[in-house]
Amino acid sequence: MNTQTVMVDYSPEVQHRFETAPRHGRVLAAQGERRTGGAGEIARGVRVEFEMRVRHGRVAECRFRAYGCPHVIAAASWVAEHAEGRALDELEWLQPRRLAELLEAPAHKLGSLLVVEDAYRACVAARPAPGR
Amino acid sequence: MNDPRRPVYFDYAATTPVDERVVQCMVECMGRGGCYANPASSSHGPGREARGRVEAARREVAALLGAGPTEIIWTSGATESNNLAIKGAARFHADRGRHLVTSRIEHKAVLDTCRQLEKEGWQVSYVTPGEGGIVTAAEIERALRPDTVLVSVMFVNNEIGTINELPPIGRLCRERGVLFHVDAAQAAGKVPIDVDAICADLLSLSAHKAYGPKGAGALYLRGSPKSRLEPLIHGGGHEWGMRSGTLATHQIVGMGEAFRIAAAEQAEEARRLRALRERLWQGIAGLGGVHLNGDPERRVAGVLNVSFEGVEGESLLFALRDLALSSGSACTSASREASYVLRALGRDDQLAQSSLRFSLGRFSTAEEVDFAISAVREQVNRLRGLGPGGDERSREAM
Repeated sequence: MNTQTVMVDYSPEVQHRFETAPRHGRVLAAQGERRTGGAGEIARGVRVEFEMRVRHGRVAECRFRAYGCPHVIAAASWVAEHAEGRALDELEWLQPRRLAELLEAPAHKLGSLLVVEDAYRACVAARPAPGR
Repeated sequence: MNDPRRPVYFDYAATTPVDERVVQCMVECMGRGGCYANPASSSHGPGREARGRVEAARREVAALLGAGPTEIIWTSGATESNNLAIKGAARFHADRGRHLVTSRIEHKAVLDTCRQLEKEGWQVSYVTPGEGGIVTAAEIERALRPDTVLVSVMFVNNEIGTINELPPIGRLCRERGVLFHVDAAQAAGKVPIDVDAICADLLSLSAHKAYGPKGAGALYLRGSPKSRLEPLIHGGGHEWGMRSGTLATHQIVGMGEAFRIAAAEQAEEARRLRALRERLWQGIAGLGGVHLNGDPERRVAGVLNVSFEGVEGESLLFALRDLALSSGSACTSASREASYVLRALGRDDQLAQSSLRFSLGRFSTAEEVDFAISAVREQVNRLRGLGPGGDERSREAM
């Protein structure tokens, strides 16, 4: 619009997660088991929030909310899904470059995927939130 | 809706399909049995026949503007016309001054041409439009200087469809002895154009925005008082030396036929499109958090530009891939460039980036509009639900 909108080709993985958004939403957790964290700003085009239920130092359940492009939504969904069962201090599995490869994201989307990583790190580092 | 496998077309402001009546005229000028000769070959009958069709097309284009046929120069499209008008006028009149005035919401074909002239030593003032995206004479007057040689303001904005207040700007320019160029690429066939009423000295046109072929355009160059330009393309002296190169008979004939149809059908088409646009707006506005971009009254019938709160532009465009439309975002870089037009109107980043331009045209139907309303409502609600402020999808704690 300068009419010069450029549509990115989205991989089947991105399309699937964008359409169905697995692991989207919030968790219900008892007092001391719920953690929340987020990163990014809507005004800058990306905002990602994670919410998790933690038991015995492990992620029992993880959910996301995201404002962003299809790659961001897909990445947040993938991270929430693959976080479950992991120890809170287990972070090496979450690599933005690996996320980019997995989702076949173009290079200029790496910045947005870093926001997804920041949101997850903020969530695991957060103090327990009131239960819901 | 014609073909369920193809997205429903809502991008008529980007380009239009060639009208079948235009296709027929063009085909007549291409094959062995047709009018394929070089219109410059006046030494034989086929050449003179081609010249006749080119001149007939020139009369049709001129008639749409209230101009004379000798005031029309064929080009490859509005981008070339804008380059020829702005660079040509600036260079021809460089001894009078090296200052130009334009607006911040012009098409890139104007803005980038001005940027090029800045690199070559000209100075350019970029006027901010008033409320609703309308460029006014008052703003232009504030920017004029004694050394201003050209003012360039678009007739209809390509993103938001607003119609600028051209007659007072044109009169102002005439009074000050400044050339007035109008980019009318988005106006032809959508609103009446009268070059005398708007006091235009130069006016750019495109065929493909008006159901003609791509690759054809024209520049109106006022004959009296005569506007003078320095040509960009040399060789052969075609078009009174203003634009050399063998004339593309089939393209020109197609443009002529497209403009003939536009002149005959513009009023009725505008009435029908205004009703469809209103139907679309009413259907979408009910979602809430939807902003109409641009003046609600001074705009062409077929364009509706809206921004959505709480929805990211690229995701919205992808979610609506059953619709062929344009977005205010160009997600080509990490910076997520928002529409410079909407930013100039004061929209914040989020709204500028989440805008959609629906542009309806000759073949749009009420059924297509209803399909778009349904799709937009469903997808905007879904994407808002995914966002940080969205509806909760709680799960029971294990």
